[in-house]
Formats: sequence, C-alpha cells, structure tokens
Amino acid sequence: MKAQKIAPALIIANVFALIIIGITKWISLYSRDAAGVFVFSDFVIVPVLMGMITAYYWRDFGLTGREYAKYSVWNALIAVACAYFFLDEGYICLIIVSPLLMGFVIAGAFLGKAMFRNNGNRMNVSIFSLLLLITIADSLTAAPYENEVSDTMIINAPPEKVWPYVVAYEPIREKENYWLFRAGMPSPVQSTAEAYREGAGRKCIFSNGYTFDEKMTVFKPAQDLTFDIVNQPRDPEIMGHIDILRGQFILKDNGDGTTTLTGNSWYRLYVMPSWYFDAWASSVTRNVHLRVMEHIKKLSEKNV
Amino acid sequence: MFDFIIKYFSFLKHIPLLPHIFDALIRLQTLLFNKKVLEHIDVIERTVLTWEKTSAGMHQYGGLQFNVNNREIGHIHSNGLVDVLLKKEIKEQLLKEGRVEDHHIFKRSGWVSLHIRSEQDKQLALELLEYSYLLKR
Repeated sequence: MKAQKIAPALIIANVFALIIIGITKWISLYSRDAAGVFVFSDFVIVPVLMGMITAYYWRDFGLTGREYAKYSVWNALIAVACAYFFLDEGYICLIIVSPLLMGFVIAGAFLGKAMFRNNGNRMNVSIFSLLLLITIADSLTAAPYENEVSDTMIINAPPEKVWPYVVAYEPIREKENYWLFRAGMPSPVQSTAEAYREGAGRKCIFSNGYTFDEKMTVFKPAQDLTFDIVNQPRDPEIMGHIDILRGQFILKDNGDGTTTLTGNSWYRLYVMPSWYFDAWASSVTRNVHLRVMEHIKKLSEKNV
Repeated sequence: MFDFIIKYFSFLKHIPLLPHIFDALIRLQTLLFNKKVLEHIDVIERTVLTWEKTSAGMHQYGGLQFNVNNREIGHIHSNGLVDVLLKKEIKEQLLKEGRVEDHHIFKRSGWVSLHIRSEQDKQLALELLEYSYLLKR
C-alpha cells in the first residue's frame, strides 16, 4: 500500500529529470562553449528539484525523516538506472556520480519537506522556478574544464636506461591496486611506438583492449617525450565526459645514477561540477600515471 | 569525520545550500550505517511537535530545527548531534555531571551538544529541548 503511494512521486521526479537533462543538452548545443557539457545543474539542481518534487507528493503521507531519506535513496537509484538505460552511461561513471546524486536528492527532499510543511505555496513556486531558470542559464553558459595532473618518481637508473621504456613498454602484468581498476575500470597495459622519432605514432593500450592513438610531438631522447592524443576510444565511460588531450614524460638526470621521472597529463572535463568530477578525474589519471611509471621503474632498474 | 569538517571547513557553511548538502550526506551515512539514530530523531520530532506552538524547519546550517513562537529551541544534525540553548548555569551543571558536551562551535555560550546514540540519550535530548521550550514559550 505504501509503495503504491510512494511510487508515483518517484516516477514523476525521474521523468522530470530526464526531460530537463534532455532540454539542457539540447540548449547547450546552441552554445559554442558549452556544446555537449553535462552542466553543473544536471548533477546539482536537477537532483535537488527531484527531491523537492517527491516531497511535494509525499507531504500529506506522514512519512518519518528516516522514510524520506530511504525513499530518496531509491529516487537516486532509479535515476542512476535511467542514466544507464536511457543516457547510455557506463557503470563506472554511475558509481562515481551516485554519492553526489544521493546527497542532492536527499537534500532536495528535506528542503521540500520543510517548504511544503510551511505551506508557503507562492514562495515554493518561486524557488522552484528560480532553480529551473538557473538550470537553463547554466546550460547556456557552461564551458568545459581543463586540468593537468603531474606525478614524479625516482628511478634508480640513468635516463638513457629509462628512456626506451618511456617510449614503449611490454605488457604490465602486476595486479591492480587502485580500487576503481579492480572494480572494472580499464587500466593501462602496454605502449607501442611506430618509430623512435618525432611525429611517429604511439599507442597506449588498456586492459579492455581500448587504445588511445597518440602522436609524439616532442622527442628528445633521455629528456622529454610529449604526445598528443589524436584518437580516444568511443567508450561510454569516456565519451562526452572527458577528453585526454596530451601526455608527457620528463626525465631529469640526478647526476648520481638515478633519474627523476615526471609524468604529466592534460585533460578536458565535460561534466560539472568540476570540483567533484575533477577530484575523480585527477585520482584516475594519477593512478594511470603511477601504474605506468612503476612499470617503467621496474623495467629500467632490472637492466642496471 | 564530522568534527574534522566542522573544525577546518566551517567557514564554508555560509555558501547557500552547502550545509544542507553536507547534512544530507551525513543523513545518507546514518541511514546506511546507523539507522537507529534516524529513528530516535523521528521520535524526538514527533514528540516536540506535540508541544503547543512548536514548529519544525530546516536549520540554517543543516539539520532539523525546532521553534516555539518563531524562536529556536534547538536543532538536530543528521548524525544525531543535538544542539540546545540553555541558561549558562544549567549548562555548567550539566557539563559537571558529564551529561552533555560543550557546543561543537560556540564554547562560551549557553549552547550544549549531545550525541544521540541510545534510548537514554534520546530521553535526555527531549528533556533538554523541553527545558529550552519552557524558557522560550
């Protein structure tokens, strides 16, 4: 009986979210900078509004705070399922977005609960309209966010010994330590190079067989390898969310038979809020760096 | 975790909606790992709202706030942390007895804090809220 009372609000909230996200995506196509960006509002304001919608429908059911929280979690889980089936999102992305979504849906439900308890209908409509307006404005003004992640490692081998493995290396066979790799996110396995010269192609192959095609733009043996990503896999976990732009390895001779290896990556994020998603993007990038750099270190030190 | 964030990031509480999001995440954590606390909060809410002229709303920094005649009696954060404003002499007495803690931010005020973890804590929270209610009624 309770489920019959609760369910319509969950369905309405999720249909509303799908429509609004569809509209913001459509609007963003008309903005040169924001084209295709999942705006801040999609993950912040829309979930808050979803929570408010459920609170509106549940306002006379006498639900306890615990029930509000529990059903809000369901609301968020349905949204995650909708994103999987209707927006073609990958499950790793959904793992990443779930805590954010649940937090905002619960916050929206409790804001709504307080609003509708006070029965200030005019104010409630104003707040709801204002949030919708912000969502639309946001989809017109958003722009992708770019960042760089840098990691450093000391290798007990001179740069000349390290350099060949920086350009290309045999498959990594070590077990993954990073929990997202263990959860199924593809991890780097191997790099191959067409030739050892500037302008040559390079491939970075991941555990699921996906390949990033790269072009070496700077090739200074034992010093600097910089490459642009010219083609990245069309994977739902990546497409429309992040573009890896460039990678770089800098080798510094420490003068004592060791090398400081620095790995840099530049990427562009298409999912907002950047303060949340960039924390994940930099964590993943860092762990890709570390897995590759640990492997280079192992190979280089073996031959000293 | 809660204490760490309050200690080092409390300046962020002035950003609109952020404390409510923080409280919602705490509520999620409590729902998943300590749902008895949410039941205690529900009982407190139901009881306080039976008192004459009381109302409940969202606390400006996240949580459930109780009022009487539009004056705050106290509030509960979603991890079960209850904050109540008492007279200073009552606060001193309760602190001496070890029944409450000093407020997690306002140390030199009449505010006291209490973590609801058990049935007894819930009863004490209700007593304190009732005391504050009678002061402000």
